[in-house]
Parts: sequence; structure tokens; C-alpha cells
Amino acid sequence: MSIFSFFRAAPKASAVQAKERLQIVMAHERVGRSGPDYLPMLQQELLAVIAKYVDIDDNKVEVKLDRGGDCSTLEVNIELPSRDQIKAPVGKDMPVSKPANGSAKGEDKDPPKAASALTNGGVSKRR
Amino acid sequence: MGKIIVMTSGKGGVGKTTSSAAFATGLALRGFKTVVIDFDVGLRNLDLVMGCERRVVFDFINVINGEAKLNQALVKDKRVDNLYILPTSQTRDKDALTKEGVERILNELSKEFDYIVCDSPAGIERGALMALYFADHAVIVTNPEVSSVRDSDRILGVLNSKSRRAEKGLEPVTQQLLLTRYDPERVERGEMLKVDDVLEILAIPLLGVIPESQAVLRASNIGMPVILDENSNAGQAYLDAVGRFLGEEVEHRFTSAQKKGLFSRLLRRTA
Repeated sequence: MSIFSFFRAAPKASAVQAKERLQIVMAHERVGRSGPDYLPMLQQELLAVIAKYVDIDDNKVEVKLDRGGDCSTLEVNIELPSRDQIKAPVGKDMPVSKPANGSAKGEDKDPPKAASALTNGGVSKRR
Repeated sequence: MGKIIVMTSGKGGVGKTTSSAAFATGLALRGFKTVVIDFDVGLRNLDLVMGCERRVVFDFINVINGEAKLNQALVKDKRVDNLYILPTSQTRDKDALTKEGVERILNELSKEFDYIVCDSPAGIERGALMALYFADHAVIVTNPEVSSVRDSDRILGVLNSKSRRAEKGLEPVTQQLLLTRYDPERVERGEMLKVDDVLEILAIPLLGVIPESQAVLRASNIGMPVILDENSNAGQAYLDAVGRFLGEEVEHRFTSAQKKGLFSRLLRRTA
């Protein structure tokens, strides 16, 4: 132990780190085990709705899940095609199940399995 | 009707068997007729901790299979009245535990005993599931350490979804935390999770804090439940926990470090 280490800021106590890590990991594990995992479905349906109006390129859909301590964010980035490619809005007479431009591309996407949380990480909350 | 208590944790080596032995002995000391059952089929150890390993003739699995009568398999404790041990098999595996078989034995025991303490094996597989399935009360044995806390949370999830009470929509299994191997000095140095940290994370009521104590190993060496070592901190902490379990208000002890004099501080430095 050198004399200089006395002046350095004390590192965060390991017990504090233990608590923080536990709170984060367990908030997500609890969400994952309670109830059905709706996130993949949500993603598929969101994409299907957008595909109804816009021709989405599957390669230009980016889904990101960021797990934080207090809240998690689900980020869906869809790159829209240039203006002339945008479809006309679907009218009432059009069958909803069949979008104007072929199949809804979102539907055959395989959603990431890890994506299981879209909620606040209420640690003290138990189902 | 006897009450069924499960000592469970998910993680191994946190003190389930030590706590089961101590708790069952504590309940018997209070005058309740108590039996403690080893659910760790294939890895029998409760008999050693209770000091009755040389008196085991038949076991839990023999009774389930109808190879022995329940009364033949129950081992009466030599030190404490009202205390019985139902050891498990060392040769069979956990598949020998059938839900119907376990239920039949527990029903039979609950006619005769006030408390049935189920010493769960580690893990969340068959043995552990059978130990907790019929429980009325669960004591979650946890060390102040990340993997133990996480596993305890997992086992709480299992209790809330896979126990008989959960499946039948009955009143849920009561859940209480028994924090073992607690070292107040390391907590003060910021090296160990505090009681309050664990309580905040697991969000269940606290039954007791058992301090890290050399008495635990000493007791298991000689096959005596540590609760009978009334001079030890751990023994006293278990006695307190049993009191709390029975609804008494007992203040928590051994949760803060003993104030040390200058002399012992200096000694510690050089040690």
C-alpha cells in the first residue's frame, strides 16, 4: 500500500456492487418468468402493422433491448423506403389480412429470444 | 393436523440441513412433536448432522415403496423428547420420490406430529420440488452472497407457481428469510451484503440472521444440532428464530459487529 493510495477515491464497496448487480439481473428474471412472454408477439405485430402501409426491408429493421437498472427500453428502428415507394393507405375495401404489397414481412421474422423485458425494473415488487 | 415447513434455498451449501436440524430441534424443545425429513435422496446427510447415522435401519423411500412401516423408519432423537428423524435412502435416486408416495407419508405424519420439517436438496429438480410441493411454510435459507440471493429468488418463484397451494389456488405458502453465515464485521467493511440489502431484494419477512460461527462445524462434527449449543451465537440465533416462527417478538441479535477495544484492534492488525 503506497502513501498515494490514501488520496485516491475509495472504490465502491464490493457489497454495494453486489446489490446493484443483483437488483438489475433479478428485475429482469422476474419479468421473464411471470406470465406469457409477449415481446416477440408485440414485435411481430408492430412490424405487420407497419408493413401494411410501408414496404419494409427486413434487413433494415433493427430491434434493440437495453436493460437498465430503473427502466428498460425497447428500440425498434425501421428504415423507411424513399418517398416514391410508399404505398397508398389501405382502404376499407381492402382485405386486412393481405397487405397491398405481398406478405407482411415482419411476420416471418424470428424475434430475438432474449428480448423478454419491456417494463420497469421494480425490484421490490413481486408478482 | 401438522404443519409442513420446507427449508429450501436453490443453492447448495448455504445451510439447509444445519438449519433443518436446528429448527426441528428447536420446535421439539418448545414441546411440539416434530419430525424432520431428509429429501436429499442419494445424498443422505441429515442423519449425520442429527447424530443418528448408526441407528438408521429403514428410510423414507422404503416407506414410500411399502417395504417398511413408517414407525419402523422413524428414528427417535436421544437428546430431545418429541423429536424424530426420517432419514432418506443413500442408494436410490430422486425419481423414487413420487408425488403420491410423498403425499401419503406426509398425510400420515401430519396426523401424529405438530410440525413436519422438510430438508430440501439443492437445485430445482424433483427432490427439491417434492420437498416444497406440500409445504404450508417455507423458510428460505440464504447466504449474503450474490449467487445464493439469486437462487433464493428463483426458488421463491417456484414456490409461487409450482407448490400445491399455488396449483390449487389456496392461500399461498408463507415465506420467511433465514440469513445464514452472516459476518457483521465484513458487512461493516462493505465486503458483504447487509441484512437490509437482502431483504430489499427478496422482499420477504426476516425470520432470523444466523451469524457465521465456528460452533456450526463443531456441532456437526459431533452430530449435534447447533441449537443445542446454547452458549454459541449461532445456537442462540436459531433459538430466537424458532421463537419468531412461533409468533413471538424477539429482537434481532448478532447483526452488528462487536465493538473492539484498542488492544484487540492492534492484535488483529498483526494477525
